[in-house]
Amino acid sequence: MRTATPGIERIFSWSSIDSKSRVVILVSLLLICTIPQSTGQETITGWGEVESWTDNDLNAAVIHGTNVWVFGDFGTVRYSEDNGATWHNHSALGNADLIAADSLDDSMAVLSADGIIHMMFGLDADWEKIDSGQSGINGIAVTGEQSVVIVGDKGAIWQYTDETWWNRTTTFNENLHDVAFNGDQDGLAVGDAGTILATNDGGATWDYRAAPDADSSIVSVSYFNPYRMFAVSDSGQILYSTSPGGFEWQLREIESMDYETTLATTLSSIEVVSSSRILFAGPDGYLGLSLDQGLNVERNILPAGVNTSFNDHAMFDYVVGIVVGDSGVILFTDRAGENEDIGFEIPDYNNFGEFVEYADDMLLAGFIATVKIVVFGILLGFTIGVILAMLKTAPTSFKNVLERYSTNQIRGLGAYCSVIGLWLLYTGVSRFPELQLEGLEYIFTPVGDPRGFAMFALGLAIVAISIQFILADKKLSGPLFKVRPLNSLATVYTDFFRNTPLIVQFMFIHFGLRLGMRIQQLMEGTFGDPGIDGIDYFFYGDRTFLSAIFTLGLNSGAYQCETIRGAISAIPSGQMEAGRSIGLTYLGTMRLVILPQAIRICIPPIGNEMVNLVLNSSLAMVIGYSELSRQGKLMIATTFQIFSAWGLVMISYFVVTWTLALILRRLEDTTRIPGLGISGGS
Amino acid sequence: MPEIVLSIRDLHKMYAGGVHAVRGVSFDVHEGESVAIIGSSGSGKSTVLRCINRLIEPTDGVIELRGEQINTPSADVNRVRSRIGMVFQSFELFAHLKVVDNVTLGLRHVRGMSKDEAEKVALEVLGRVDMLERVDAYPGNLSGGQKQRVAIARALAMMPEVILFDEPTSALDPELIGSVLQTIRGLADEGMTMVIVTHEINFARDVADRIVYLDHGQVAEEGPSSIINDPKTERLQKFLSSMHEDEVPEAIEKELVDGNTGYGYVPDGKGAGPRVR
Repeated sequence: MRTATPGIERIFSWSSIDSKSRVVILVSLLLICTIPQSTGQETITGWGEVESWTDNDLNAAVIHGTNVWVFGDFGTVRYSEDNGATWHNHSALGNADLIAADSLDDSMAVLSADGIIHMMFGLDADWEKIDSGQSGINGIAVTGEQSVVIVGDKGAIWQYTDETWWNRTTTFNENLHDVAFNGDQDGLAVGDAGTILATNDGGATWDYRAAPDADSSIVSVSYFNPYRMFAVSDSGQILYSTSPGGFEWQLREIESMDYETTLATTLSSIEVVSSSRILFAGPDGYLGLSLDQGLNVERNILPAGVNTSFNDHAMFDYVVGIVVGDSGVILFTDRAGENEDIGFEIPDYNNFGEFVEYADDMLLAGFIATVKIVVFGILLGFTIGVILAMLKTAPTSFKNVLERYSTNQIRGLGAYCSVIGLWLLYTGVSRFPELQLEGLEYIFTPVGDPRGFAMFALGLAIVAISIQFILADKKLSGPLFKVRPLNSLATVYTDFFRNTPLIVQFMFIHFGLRLGMRIQQLMEGTFGDPGIDGIDYFFYGDRTFLSAIFTLGLNSGAYQCETIRGAISAIPSGQMEAGRSIGLTYLGTMRLVILPQAIRICIPPIGNEMVNLVLNSSLAMVIGYSELSRQGKLMIATTFQIFSAWGLVMISYFVVTWTLALILRRLEDTTRIPGLGISGGS
Repeated sequence: MPEIVLSIRDLHKMYAGGVHAVRGVSFDVHEGESVAIIGSSGSGKSTVLRCINRLIEPTDGVIELRGEQINTPSADVNRVRSRIGMVFQSFELFAHLKVVDNVTLGLRHVRGMSKDEAEKVALEVLGRVDMLERVDAYPGNLSGGQKQRVAIARALAMMPEVILFDEPTSALDPELIGSVLQTIRGLADEGMTMVIVTHEINFARDVADRIVYLDHGQVAEEGPSSIINDPKTERLQKFLSSMHEDEVPEAIEKELVDGNTGYGYVPDGKGAGPRVR
């Protein structure tokens, strides 16, 4: 005795699979899981670690002429003459930590933690020492041949020019962390409490700029040009200003972080290398790169074994440069630090791995799209098929409908209909001249208003029918009353859909009737705008999707109708009599007695029909629905891998249809009635 | 005289091909009475029976159930049918449903009972036809006699005012007939109103209170069951004598069942009924 199990378990249940099949399934799953990742395009780091010959923390890096210099704790100095690939030792500049550096033209200045500034005027010149006499200085900027600006705690700003120190400290006494100049006049200083100060006279006077976030501690600023100013806070915010002089600052809503205003990591340095490219550095091994002014920030992969705090960049241009960090780490890049898969390699699609790398997303999208229309198409098609089959087998004739009315009522109806019919005939005929037909040979020429013909034909039909109504006798014996209207309706439908090509139906329904658009508008009116994702977009966001479902469903319904009708005819008429004899209605007997048996009989041919529907769904490409075949075409357009693309598409179709066939086979087994029919088993 | 349950007046049925199968049949069925309709093949017995619950629409005539005409377009045919049980020659059990579900289907979907209530009633009637041990079987796995008893239970469960039997035993093997006839006889003893179309002359004589003999679509003779022993009309006499020719003598039947092949026929449960040359 089979116990009834609910839902999907009737079709698939693990416990009902024999042990051999279980082993096959498990091995297949294992094989799928252990397929190695394609190596066509792996992501590797754009940074390479170079030997710095020191373990001291490196705090600052600066380009000076064709050389690049780095400075670190205990006066450590290293320089490179080949863009940072190899490094040379340089005698220490004092014993104090070197914490910041800057250069302008041929001048370079290094800030020491004890307030001493080491300067080099001219390339390959000697170091000169200038004592600022200050402590708690954090940032330095070179503003001219013999001038620098330094900023520090409690709002301290000092300007060195004409061999003299000037105190430019303003009333804003928050700690300042960084200062940056564009040329020798325009500068920015940033610090705690969102402080941004700007100068346009080389650092003599400073103005306060409104902070977009008064709680952030701005740690680094970059003045790229008068329209591109960027800063970062230690809480990961990116601040930017595009107004000349930096009057207005805003927090970047970072697209790659779902429009949050923080990168969710601590930042220590920003380096703007072109009008759109920005490099970020932070503690805990954070290196970031944005190609679009901070809208999208991608975290850079680090070389193996490197996980230090990064302090400063020095870039020759947007491609070549270095970044320095704690423990003497210097990373060198000659590809802008980008992870290597970002567009610097031309994929070779002849390599199957790389082709798959490119094609798998498209194939998956097409697969899902196909499954979507197939599932809905099958549901719709089966429903329509059952309804049509019931209409076709319905015994209701005009006589059944009309026999409860008196003869006079029927004649009255006939008279009323004949008036309508004659009016339609008259209107239709009077419109014939509008067709501007000049002879029978022009009958297919689409000029004028074809509705005239339609009204004429309809009128003729109604008059013919109403004449029979008028002539009706008491027994309703006229030929019209034997007509089964439901059957006729279904016959017209199935004949029409079975005798026209599916591809034409697709185009007629989508472009001619614009069914998808109409349904979409209807749904929009009811449920609102579908947006770009979510459940509402899934159902009515794509009008080709709606058209495809309906075309497939309507077409398949016409074919399934005949199959189901055949199965209904195969049920002995006694079953209907038995159902009716216990008082069930015709529809009740259909639903409870006939259809449950008929559907069981026609599962094999219906399965055929459903497989056909899957295969026919490929024609949805003609209306622009992006199902598997269309995706295949698009894949070829980019990769030219015709064999592989169509091969994969074909396999995908096979997966869908074969799964469907297996489900139906299983359904057939589980719904088989014991002791009924020749089944060759069970 | 008990109340008249079913009254048939001047019933005519003309089939589409022009065959006039029933020509003015009239008879009454009283409360608690069992009426057997006998007659040769093609005499219109089954047509009359099917006209009663309108599986066939009569061409003319009046059929009344407890004084209310039921063959008008305005009569609720489904309600009428739920008051009249029907048992078919070929059982017509719903093959996709278990025995118990066959019986509960009408109770649940016509009478509107809950599943539990319906099953209670179903088990009760299945007990009456002695089918309790097969309630979870599918009809395909039952023998013919068991099927027919389930069909009787299905009709009984609806608490009909009258049950129509359309040759209930003629599709059964001889050794299976007994249990079905026993069941019907039990119903008659309980006072169920029944109309039985049958070939079993002996059974008609034993069970039926009244016999209606149809010939060529007309009632040729009608009377108490004694008319079988003592037919008044020549036509019935002829019919009965032809029936007796077909009947298997008791002694031979015993040998048939025991498997004596000397008679050219062994009842293996698949062939037609036994015939002796």
